[in-house]
Amino acid sequence: MSNKAVVYINQFFGQIGGEEAADHEPEVRDGVAGAAQAIAPNFDGEIVKTVICGDNYMSSNQDKAVAKILGELEDVDFDIFFAGPAFQAGRYGNACGAIGKAVKEEFNVPVVSSMNVENPGVDMFKKHIYIFPGGHSAAKMRDDAKKMAEFGNKLLNEEGPFLAEEEGFYKRGIRHQYFLPDETPAADRAIDMLLKKINGEEYQSELPIPEQDLVEIAPAIQDLSSTKIALVTSGGIVPVENPDKIQSASATRWGKYNIAGQDKLENRASNKYKTIHAGYDPAAADADPNRVVPLDALRKYQEEGRIGEIHDYFYSTVGTGTTEGEAARMGAEIAGELLEANVQAVILTST
Amino acid sequence: MVKEIERTGITVVQMANLIPVAKTVGANRMVPTISIPYPLGDPKTSEEEQWEVRYHRVGIALDALETEIEEQTVFAV
Amino acid sequence: MKLEIGNFHVEDIRFGDSTEFNDGILTINKDEALQVVKEDRHITDADIKIVKPGDQVRLVPVKEAIEPRYRMDEGPLFPGVTGNLQQVGDGMTVALKGTSVLVVGKHWGGFQDGLIDMAGEGAKYTYFSQLKNIVLVADTDEEFEKREQQKKNKALRWAGMRLAEYIGRSVSNQDPDEIEEFELDPITKRDTDTSELPGVVLVMQPQTQMEEDGYNALNYGWNANHMLPTLMHPNEVLDGAMISGSFMPCSSKWSTYDFQNFNLIKRLYEEHGETVNFLGVIMSNLNVALEQKERSAQFVANIASNLGAEAAIVAEEGYGNPDADYIACLVALEDAGIKTVGVSNEATGRDGESQPLVSLDPKADALVSTGNVSELIKLPPMETVIGELEALARDGLSGGWEDDEELGSSVKEDGSIVMENNSMFCGDGVAGWSTKTMKEF
Repeated sequence: MSNKAVVYINQFFGQIGGEEAADHEPEVRDGVAGAAQAIAPNFDGEIVKTVICGDNYMSSNQDKAVAKILGELEDVDFDIFFAGPAFQAGRYGNACGAIGKAVKEEFNVPVVSSMNVENPGVDMFKKHIYIFPGGHSAAKMRDDAKKMAEFGNKLLNEEGPFLAEEEGFYKRGIRHQYFLPDETPAADRAIDMLLKKINGEEYQSELPIPEQDLVEIAPAIQDLSSTKIALVTSGGIVPVENPDKIQSASATRWGKYNIAGQDKLENRASNKYKTIHAGYDPAAADADPNRVVPLDALRKYQEEGRIGEIHDYFYSTVGTGTTEGEAARMGAEIAGELLEANVQAVILTST
Repeated sequence: MVKEIERTGITVVQMANLIPVAKTVGANRMVPTISIPYPLGDPKTSEEEQWEVRYHRVGIALDALETEIEEQTVFAV
Repeated sequence: MKLEIGNFHVEDIRFGDSTEFNDGILTINKDEALQVVKEDRHITDADIKIVKPGDQVRLVPVKEAIEPRYRMDEGPLFPGVTGNLQQVGDGMTVALKGTSVLVVGKHWGGFQDGLIDMAGEGAKYTYFSQLKNIVLVADTDEEFEKREQQKKNKALRWAGMRLAEYIGRSVSNQDPDEIEEFELDPITKRDTDTSELPGVVLVMQPQTQMEEDGYNALNYGWNANHMLPTLMHPNEVLDGAMISGSFMPCSSKWSTYDFQNFNLIKRLYEEHGETVNFLGVIMSNLNVALEQKERSAQFVANIASNLGAEAAIVAEEGYGNPDADYIACLVALEDAGIKTVGVSNEATGRDGESQPLVSLDPKADALVSTGNVSELIKLPPMETVIGELEALARDGLSGGWEDDEELGSSVKEDGSIVMENNSMFCGDGVAGWSTKTMKEF
């Protein structure tokens, strides 16, 4: 059975035209067209379709363009998707990334592209698709396309794992454990790294510290006395029966619990609230859950008129071992509810 | 989680003991608590002391919500 | 201080009429051994089994591993824990090598317990599949924690230590196959050649985050939550000063066997006098409050500075908030001008996309990574299960679950399992065993 590929290229490499044709609507042609020919000689299989789309059309009508391409590929049988190479062309890089990500999500096939390190598409999409470092311009077409095709062959014919450092694609921030083929134990690696560090020689940390990604700071609340505040916690405070079955570690679930009219959170002994968080000693939180979710103190401020209102529900999940992806999803779901309930400010307590 | 809430434009203050962790996860307004298992009330102290600590630190958190900041900020307690 | 460990290489283990060691064969009198186990009335039910590498056996919930040993001065194997306090690290201790006493719950497991496959795909995930193991599988009357996720496992862990000592006694009157010597002169009395080499300390951060007694690692019987970082001779760690606690998700755990054979210590001994001057171990801990974490880091850096250390290795037993202790310690040492390497695991999630440690700092620029606690592992059914397979799903093991939206229960009807690395018994080998690292995929 021969492998089947679909290739995405822009209007220029599809030989439709230059800047004047950048609004060209997506079309899907049978077989190899335009610069898809650069992939073909090294790809161990058949290119069944070539998608051509104008860069401007993709950037100004992305949803429409993606939907149209996905629609046309729906009945096409293919195993891999190549996009580009896009060199340093920013709009082209963005197009390759956007359609590549969509194809991967829709059809669950691997997607391979190539872009110059300066191409903004690299940072936007390296997490979602395999992107190889490429040249500045089409002068590097042959080399860049060859890399894509050869890695495509590997993906389809070999077992993996495929490591960024060995294959050469941009690191994606996807880290998994890996058994070293030479079985060098951690102690030897530590000693080796230590001696190199002492002697001022080069060494490679097995965990390079990633750069931090921050969100825009929300504005200060002008008048708290007319503001609705919500309590959110990652400390795992839940009703004793844990009705939402929130996990004690690596949580994927969250719960919201009605506190309307309650002056404080009653404890585990009163059969009301406890913590299910497995990352810390539960005794203090079980004995007085207000130590983690300070409802009693917040009620007092409400009584004093310092704050306007306390949202009728508090939100809870468990922070320990919870993945960034899950935490972000749960955070977004909770934030959605808070927005809908007109909450303007949040006190998030963590343990 | 704190980032997702803040991303929607809701003003959020994180009360946490591990300020380095809160900073690393990207909280912008932070108020330190006293420990991990009992952020707002040390069981070894009297009820009254615990209440004072809790009331005080929640108050700082409310101050934090009312304060314009330019960068990640830890509010002194 | 000079420690001699007299090693007896165990080729095979059998049951027989008397507990003895002859020509590489360890024979165990099961009844007598069980009597030792049952000296504690809290042990209600106990059996001993022998498992070897390649056996189609799955062990769960595994609570502890201990190397069978005997102290030639007849003192307790774990002073302050199984007997009176005494100084260890000087003198002779005999050890049965290539074997460990594994303690397995007959029914009940918890957050801190793990799983071992002795054969097949799962065997590579833990060092203990390579050993010939004497498995104590037992139950207790510790009703108060039967249904608790966090278990002290006291009766079982202590029974394991007694059993290890009982078995170790079988070689007390024989000449060992080989003697390993561990000797360091006092720091200020070393020869010039050694003193001129870069001084290195090993900083150990065992798990001590429970405020209540019974869960934390013990240092000569002392709850290491209640201590400030202190200088120890590496021999003390190798010779029973430290015992494992019962708290951390299991792949991160350092069992008592790990302390007795701490690979990083042995490697530093090998380098001592050749490339480094091994100054000793700074025994630190892991804490639950920022100030405690910072205080410990400050003490570590200050001890290391005053010893004249030029370099350090920091090893962390755990992940999650203990990463803050780990990073704080690495940063404090770097700030003191000490070139530091860290050894720990990461928690990047099942998808590999999460932040590897909860606290990060660019000064931590030399890290060895030994695994991903949340890596998903699927394993086929195993012929024999020792313990209770259902515990993996039912009892809140850190890498098991009753119900997951996508994966269902950790334990399938046919006996196959799906779990996170979290529950592989001491799977991340931070003591230095791990042949795993972390890579970008």
